Amino acid sequence: MTGYLIRRLVQMVIVVMISAAASYALLNLAPGGPTAGLRQAVQGGRNRITAEDIARIRAYFELDLFLPYRFSRWLIGQPRGPLTIFGREFFGDTIVGCYQERMATVRYADGTIKDISLGCAQDVTLGDLVGRRTSNGVLFGDFGLSWRLLRDRPVTMVLASRLDRTLQLISLSTFFSLVIGIPLGIYSAVKQYSVFDYVFTSLAFMGSAMPTFFFGILMILTFAIFFKNIGLPYLPPGSATAVRAYTIPWIGTVQPESLLDHALHLILPVTVLTIVNISGWSRFIRASMLDVLRQDYVRTARAKGLWERVVVVKHALRNALIPFVTIIVFSLPGLFGGAIITESVFSWPGMGRLYFLALGDYDYPVAMAILFITAVLTVIATLLRDFLYTLVDPRIRFS
Amino acid sequence: MFTQKRILAVLSLVLVAAFALGACATPTPIEIIKTVEVQVEKQVEKIVTQEVEKIVTKEVEKQVEVVVTKEVEKIVTQEVEVQVDVPSAFATAPFALGDLKVRQALAYCTNKLDLIKTVYPLVAEDQQKALIMNTFIPTSSWAYAGDANITIYPFDAEKGKALLDEAGWTMAEGSEYRANADGIELALKFTTTTAAFRKAWAAVWEQQMKDCGVRIIRLHAPASWWFGDTTGLARRDYELGAFAWVGQADPGGRTLWACDQIPSPENNWEGQNGMGWCNAAADEGIKKAVNSLKLSDRQAAYTVVQAEYTKDVPAIPLFNRTETYAVVAGFQNFKPNAGTSYYQWNAQEWEIPGKDTIIEGFTQEPASLFTLVEDALVAGQAASFISGYSTTDHNFSFQARMLKELSTLDSGLAQMQEVEVKAGDMVRDASGTDAALAAGMKVVNTAGETVEFTGAPVKMNLLVVKYEYVDGLTWSDGEPLKVEDMQLYWKVRCDRENGATSFTICDMIKEIAWGEDYFGYTVTYNPGVMDPTYFLDPLGWYPAHRVLSDGRKLADVPAKEYTTLPEIAENPIGVGPYVLKEWVKGEKMVFEANPYFYLGAPKTPNIVILFITSENAEAQLLGGQVDILDGTSLVGVTETLDAAAKEGKITIIVEPSATWEHIDLNLSFGQ
Repeated sequence: MTGYLIRRLVQMVIVVMISAAASYALLNLAPGGPTAGLRQAVQGGRNRITAEDIARIRAYFELDLFLPYRFSRWLIGQPRGPLTIFGREFFGDTIVGCYQERMATVRYADGTIKDISLGCAQDVTLGDLVGRRTSNGVLFGDFGLSWRLLRDRPVTMVLASRLDRTLQLISLSTFFSLVIGIPLGIYSAVKQYSVFDYVFTSLAFMGSAMPTFFFGILMILTFAIFFKNIGLPYLPPGSATAVRAYTIPWIGTVQPESLLDHALHLILPVTVLTIVNISGWSRFIRASMLDVLRQDYVRTARAKGLWERVVVVKHALRNALIPFVTIIVFSLPGLFGGAIITESVFSWPGMGRLYFLALGDYDYPVAMAILFITAVLTVIATLLRDFLYTLVDPRIRFS
Repeated sequence: MFTQKRILAVLSLVLVAAFALGACATPTPIEIIKTVEVQVEKQVEKIVTQEVEKIVTKEVEKQVEVVVTKEVEKIVTQEVEVQVDVPSAFATAPFALGDLKVRQALAYCTNKLDLIKTVYPLVAEDQQKALIMNTFIPTSSWAYAGDANITIYPFDAEKGKALLDEAGWTMAEGSEYRANADGIELALKFTTTTAAFRKAWAAVWEQQMKDCGVRIIRLHAPASWWFGDTTGLARRDYELGAFAWVGQADPGGRTLWACDQIPSPENNWEGQNGMGWCNAAADEGIKKAVNSLKLSDRQAAYTVVQAEYTKDVPAIPLFNRTETYAVVAGFQNFKPNAGTSYYQWNAQEWEIPGKDTIIEGFTQEPASLFTLVEDALVAGQAASFISGYSTTDHNFSFQARMLKELSTLDSGLAQMQEVEVKAGDMVRDASGTDAALAAGMKVVNTAGETVEFTGAPVKMNLLVVKYEYVDGLTWSDGEPLKVEDMQLYWKVRCDRENGATSFTICDMIKEIAWGEDYFGYTVTYNPGVMDPTYFLDPLGWYPAHRVLSDGRKLADVPAKEYTTLPEIAENPIGVGPYVLKEWVKGEKMVFEANPYFYLGAPKTPNIVILFITSENAEAQLLGGQVDILDGTSLVGVTETLDAAAKEGKITIIVEPSATWEHIDLNLSFGQ
């Protein structure tokens, strides 16, 4: 058991490192970035941008360092300067980046023109890194400073501002999806080919087929706008809380940030997510249950005269849950990652939306933090899944 | 199976894949040029510096002509055959654009009102007509030449066709498009972005051109290519190109219309005159317009440029975009203005009867309130509640607010002096760079001539401007605004470690004399500085007395720390109408009235900026959760908004935007 755990942990670390390196490289190699468009910026009389200005801003974002050094500084906060052993400095002259490239424009015979680099005009050495700001490294829990979304403030602050909202939304919808989805799936399987099963299966298909954004907007139009217009109790169209008190027919005045206000704002987005989840999960449970119900041991259980309820819940369901455990466990990273589309449609200030904004705004420290944490949660979920398997099915053993 | 994780994973994968594709694919929208791999034995002349010799050993392939950078003295070039393969479906006739008659014909064949109707169908017709642009300056600007002084091209397809006939582009029997005597069809490539807005009007324009017998081949390129640093517009890689300019209260234009601003390898691709328009009168005019400080001189110069521009048609100005605002019914004193995005200028007068809180919807959250570093519009707008306005730029002109009056030459607050400069003095050279005067530098003398400095004294213009503020400016903590606060600003502003992008303002000022018997300061600019907006105060202020959470006084904090300082980036204080009470990240900013505001307490005690998504914006307005939406969250007047406005629930305000659409004609093909 201990040996198994150690082996798994080592594997997990390797997987996380590879995924971190890959996503870091992809983000950084992609075109764009925080200096994109600087050259095209309005060059007003009082705001001229020189090549020197651009080089300075590149250095501000560490873009002048070579990628491996940048990655290492992001990961472990090193190197920060020359290696110092017993007061002596080593590798101070090692070149770790290029502050400013020497560019030349080349015109080919066919008239095409290209900018080529003629090498580096000013190198950055390890010695130059002394005194530059840097994070302590994500491995030590420091995700650095945000580039764009919350400029120069800690990434953890940005994440913290969204985390509880996302947890509220996703945990509630996951909870309701489970509580409603599992019984629905079971019932539908037990009563296969009944009217209920047909109706339910059709609805589930519609639920899966309907895009979240369309479904969300439909709900807003109906329950927020239309209901309000005809004087029925309505729901808020978006955001996590209200700013000022509002009056709902039959219910009365709702104070901003009261429990009722929170609850009312949660209803629509949670409903949308829950319905989408239920339609997927319950069909999964149904299929899985149908498989199990056809097994010989279920027939045996029935044959020996057990109550149908015991047959279904104790004998069939437990085995049907094994594949389902995988789905549930992998919703763990989702708890952190949020739901991009639903959050956008309802102006929900959650993590999914933050990730989307971070990518669009070239806020790589924020995007990387989300990717990294999601990767860690995913490998943890994998481990958790394997443990849960042994609980659900005692025949499964670690080896 | 739609689990949360999978949705996330798929989206992440899609995003990552998109990035990866973007990274691998070099956009080559116009023509694929196959460069043949040629091994060239590079011959490089002995180059002086050690560093440059590196390139001798470096294998640089197939270059023909190298534009020499500062460090490289000269590189011998060698002719290389490069096979070009242009697999174009249509051969175009870009050389036709060299012919004035063709350009005029395109202008006559363009029905601007129809284009406007395509994109703004729900705007009233008289408002639609008001959006038409005749030249590169909006008709409401002080610099507009007036209809009588320019050539106007009203829609007249017959006139256009006649001009094309005259130019030798005739319509053969039974054909759809015109051709010249050589049988070359009058086809032109039209490049613009992929924005739905542009696709909409471009499709209509294509049809208008077809009606005149001109074939338009539309190419909607990614904005990253079209506006890229080294692609598209920046490299004049188009025949007809459409995009937008943002009209300014000071129209500038030096980089657009001057002959030396045609981007080319020779000038290191400087300038924005992608049309390649070089007209001696306009060239002189635009230089005069941006180098004169007297309004009447500038108006006259801009008139000359506009007259030449409309005569030569290097571009077809189309229409102003609109800025749409929607506010709840009953909102009082909401006064957005043409030409400015800062519609919060009179926030202290905003009022909704019966409500003590006004909620404004923003689709983007400010990244920081340290506006020196963060220049996004939303940051400026949010910060303006706290800081107020020292000047505004409504209707393409300037107004003094906290500044007592604009420090113009006419007001006597600004003076132009003559000064003799010698080597070593900081001056602004003829290219607009501030540097120490040295032999060989070109400067503009008092006579307005560009002369080379040889060491002999030269007389230059020296601008001295006094900026004076109104009385009663008080920080929201009750402390009066002091000269020390401005001095602190200046110290921080010019510290190269403050994180700001540009330091031109620091380099162009020779000295500042702080006011003793008046509240303000007097700035002496470098000799040669002819900044057309000299009458706007160049400085701001920071509360030097403010004590930070760690016990230090703001005045003692190094500028380097400002970007991370909560008292600057998140919770600054100011002399404006409101005080930031709370900023819930990702959700809202809550402001309350500043009791010390110099114009008296604001009418509405609270203003909240609510961060919403554009997908959710209209619903929030109609659902009563926000009171104001602006053009950044509204795509224009939609049917839903229009219907709500007709029911009297909201008010829609459509203002001509400062942003205007135009089609540039690349003239270089005809030369």
